Amino acid sequence: MTPTLYRQALEHSSGSPHQIALRKVALERFFTRGLPTPRDEDWKYTALDSLERAELHAPLHAAEDWASEDHPGIVMKFGNGRLTDADPKSIHAHGLADHIDTPLVVHYLGLLADTFPGGAALADLNSALWQDGLLLHVPAGWKAAPLFLVHSASEADAMLHLRHLVVLEAGTEAVLVEHAQGIPELTYWHNSVTEIILGEGAKLTHLKLDEDSAAATHTSLTLVEQSRDSRYHALSIHVGGRVARHDTWVNLAETGAECQLDGLFIADARRHIDQHLHVEHAAPHTTSRQTWRGIAAGRGRGIFDARVVVQPGAQRADAQQSSRNLLLSPYAEIDVKPQLEIYTDDVKCGHGATVGQLDEAQVFYLCSRGIDADAARTLLLRGFAEEALALLESAVLAGWMEPHLLAALPIQRKEPIA
Amino acid sequence: MLEIRNLHVSIGDKPILAGIELDVKAGEVHAIMGPNGSGKSTLAQVLAGREGYTVTAGSVRYLGQDLLALEPEQRARAGVFLAFQYPLEIPGVANVQLLRTALNSVRRQRGESELDALDFLDTVKDKLALLGMDESFLYRAVNDGFSGGEKKRNEILQMAVLEPRLAILDETDSGLDIDALKTVANGVNALKHPERAVILVTHYQRLLNYIVPDRVHVLAGGRIVRSGDTGLALELEDRGYGWLMPESSAREEVRP
Repeated sequence: MTPTLYRQALEHSSGSPHQIALRKVALERFFTRGLPTPRDEDWKYTALDSLERAELHAPLHAAEDWASEDHPGIVMKFGNGRLTDADPKSIHAHGLADHIDTPLVVHYLGLLADTFPGGAALADLNSALWQDGLLLHVPAGWKAAPLFLVHSASEADAMLHLRHLVVLEAGTEAVLVEHAQGIPELTYWHNSVTEIILGEGAKLTHLKLDEDSAAATHTSLTLVEQSRDSRYHALSIHVGGRVARHDTWVNLAETGAECQLDGLFIADARRHIDQHLHVEHAAPHTTSRQTWRGIAAGRGRGIFDARVVVQPGAQRADAQQSSRNLLLSPYAEIDVKPQLEIYTDDVKCGHGATVGQLDEAQVFYLCSRGIDADAARTLLLRGFAEEALALLESAVLAGWMEPHLLAALPIQRKEPIA
Repeated sequence: MLEIRNLHVSIGDKPILAGIELDVKAGEVHAIMGPNGSGKSTLAQVLAGREGYTVTAGSVRYLGQDLLALEPEQRARAGVFLAFQYPLEIPGVANVQLLRTALNSVRRQRGESELDALDFLDTVKDKLALLGMDESFLYRAVNDGFSGGEKKRNEILQMAVLEPRLAILDETDSGLDIDALKTVANGVNALKHPERAVILVTHYQRLLNYIVPDRVHVLAGGRIVRSGDTGLALELEDRGYGWLMPESSAREEVRP
């Protein structure tokens, strides 16, 4: 990607002259930094050189509806990065592009992304080139119905920069499900930034299902700022993309804030799926839980990098990390990097990580009941994956997710493990 | 039904079984007793087809077939069932999933139609009642977080559902209190049938008060050193195993 190509994409952006000027500033910031490379410690495992070589453009067409299914809730559809269909029942959810001038958006948009300390080249690029996205604003006193954002990609070599802003006022509740998909084998780049602001006591359940095409690149950054006694529960199922990198950055800014970051990745074939989690305990009595699972098969590669920082003064912080991973082929690889940085004495923190293979004793146990070895392996693999869904409180959401998860499980044939 | 001839088995270079001879006929219950490390569990595992054991000599015929040539799942479908001494925990896989998948594999082999979820539930409910198990057992992950007694009952439940021709119970009595022992024994007794044989592998005579064997064998040093009727089990209870031990049979327990 040459600067010219990015500049051409910027010409397709809409907005007031002031907004266009801001986009240009963001693009220049991006040029200064450039795409992250494995020389950056945080990008050690993930190279975006396929993007460097690619010639991508801003999407020209809204996507036709090529895949349809029932989603159990209110649905907003985005085709090639633009809002194409919004459920009229939706009260709190809107297209962000149409609300760019509202005081709420002016106040909050960029608040987290512009100050993100994690090396924000991709966020800068998103700020420069985003086309559309979700604005979810739940005013005090409301409990929002489950909202499904369905992203479909159908244009070859398009850059889809999506920008989402979620503001939950004090005491509200919402469920947000993001479902990304693309035409199989289509090449495109999905780069999203989601800023989430949770008011006092607000509760957000955030599901992500990434089923992008096996030739796509997906980069995503989710930033969460939590007020007193708020709760953020994310469950991410990452099974798509040729190269995928998902960053989640949570700031537990006030007492009693709690986050639970759960997920599962399946890196089969030649997929490369990298998840980075970062939780800052910035106040006393804050709680974080991370329960992740990973499966790598074929020549797939998965990365689980999770850092929890307990800042000075965050007494009684409680942080637990767990990462369990299965390697199903001798050519697959999983890198696990759990990190706890603790700058306070009075804390309760722990982490555990395992990388292993399917347990042959369990396989034998199932075979001894008449189940053939391949079916036994599939059953075990399915059990391992489905435990991730058991972390969801909602049986409806788990039920919707399950067939997607099962479809992504690698078929089991006995392969010798070197 | 089962004919074991001169069976020699090693784990790695270490010989464990050194010439087992055993005949089990349909309708019979055999108890195999012996001190720790005598090879009882090895015999049970070899019959079920566990990897990691090398048969160095001898043969096992089951219903006229060469049992040792079959894969573990083929043995199970042919009617061999092993109740494990240490049943495995399988988080994420519900009991009902295992039972139905297993039963349908076995039914396919027998040329019977597969059961759908509802028919299966009807079948399994009777078996649950037999073992004093609550229906909620079906929806728990296989043995995950089960107590020792629950795991053993779960093994017998699987056996009751699969209705094997040859059931091998490996130390099913170990770790059970007297009530659980009676429940398990009732479950096994309810399965007695002229076409079915049972091999009880046990260290203690206690279980044999509730499941009365036709034959009792003492395994020591990798061989059957004495066979008899229930009187032999009672004698062992009195005298221990020492008087039957061959000179060089003091072995530590070996697992693959």
